[in-house]
Amino acid sequence: MSRQVPLGDAPLSRIGIGQPVWDLSVRLVHWLLAALIGFSWWSAEYGHTDWHIWSGCAILALLIYRFLWGFVGSSTARFASFVRGPRVIARYLRGGWIGLGHNPLGALSVLALFIAVAVQVGLGLVSQDEDGIYTGPLYRLVSSDTSDRARDLHAAWFDVILALIVLHLAAIAIYWLRGRNLVSPMITGRVEPEAGTEPMRPGKWWVALVCVAIGIGITRWVIAGAPPFSS
Amino acid sequence: MRAALFAVTASLVLVACGGPQTSQANNVQANMSNTASPPATAAASPAPAPSFTPVSGDQAKQVMHERHEGMETIGKASKAIKRELDASTPNLATVRENAAKIADLSQKASGWFHAGTGPDLGKTGAKPEIWQNEQDFAVKLADFQKAAQAFNAATTGNDVNATKSAFGDLGKSCKACHDKYRSEMHH
Repeated sequence: MSRQVPLGDAPLSRIGIGQPVWDLSVRLVHWLLAALIGFSWWSAEYGHTDWHIWSGCAILALLIYRFLWGFVGSSTARFASFVRGPRVIARYLRGGWIGLGHNPLGALSVLALFIAVAVQVGLGLVSQDEDGIYTGPLYRLVSSDTSDRARDLHAAWFDVILALIVLHLAAIAIYWLRGRNLVSPMITGRVEPEAGTEPMRPGKWWVALVCVAIGIGITRWVIAGAPPFSS
Repeated sequence: MRAALFAVTASLVLVACGGPQTSQANNVQANMSNTASPPATAAASPAPAPSFTPVSGDQAKQVMHERHEGMETIGKASKAIKRELDASTPNLATVRENAAKIADLSQKASGWFHAGTGPDLGKTGAKPEIWQNEQDFAVKLADFQKAAQAFNAATTGNDVNATKSAFGDLGKSCKACHDKYRSEMHH
């Protein structure tokens, strides 16, 4: 550290104290996903279809991993802990909700993004390009016409993802203006302690390794064309 | 004795080298007469250089239409070929049929890029850069035509790996031109 920050002025989350909110898995998946979505856009836009396909496969592995971690991971990573019904969302909007992790409204955004990216990967897997040069690893599971339609939808569906990203960034900006920084917890994993919230229960490292292995294993099987379904 | 051995070896080598070539030529003939679409002579002769002579009016529209249909047919044929070559047991008849189609259309492509058939006239994926770099474009088109001929020849045998490799080269020649000279406006 070349620059000394007076302790009193530094936000708690930046100096390693405060309470844990996002474990390493959640943060790594978040930033890798952001980077890979950016790379996927760039590689498609500039004709690097081969890299684009690999990027999509990497996203698939990430999604599988994050999906599993959503059931067996740390408490704030679990779907069961943050996916709430309309009543809780209404209570949150009235200011009567306290908790650690995704708030009930933000959870909808998380789910929407997750599902939208999963749909995008699914469409890409069965797509073929216009020239018959590049194909998604599962393109032979569907007809040639379906692969063409999947490609067109895949291109159009990016606008849905883009809209959700804009919403995501707008929400971060609004919280920022209201005095709440959501970006630094996603980097440091910590947030200023709030009274009346239960602490995060961390996940187990070996469970994370098992989930990584499953994610990579399924992805490799998909890359191989999901034998024996496409022969 | 030694001279006789040498002569036998030499003739064997000659037979071995000459054998595949002649049989390949025969296959080309056989294949062409089977599919009947392009005459065997068209596949054997080098492709004509592209004509950039300006056209206008209905003639230009006609060129654009023919180009659009031709490119679409080539795309469909290529997709059909890839589907077969990626299969565990490729149907080589389908591959041959579509390879001949591409080889035939690749020759016709020499007449698809007359000046005046760019985006100024109507909706097309052909970028104006084609007519700003006619020499480079002609080289890339010739590469495509050569690759299409080579691929068509490769499909006549039963060597799937050689066919796949030639198909890979064909794809590269498509991409080299499309990356530079095709816009996303062709849908």
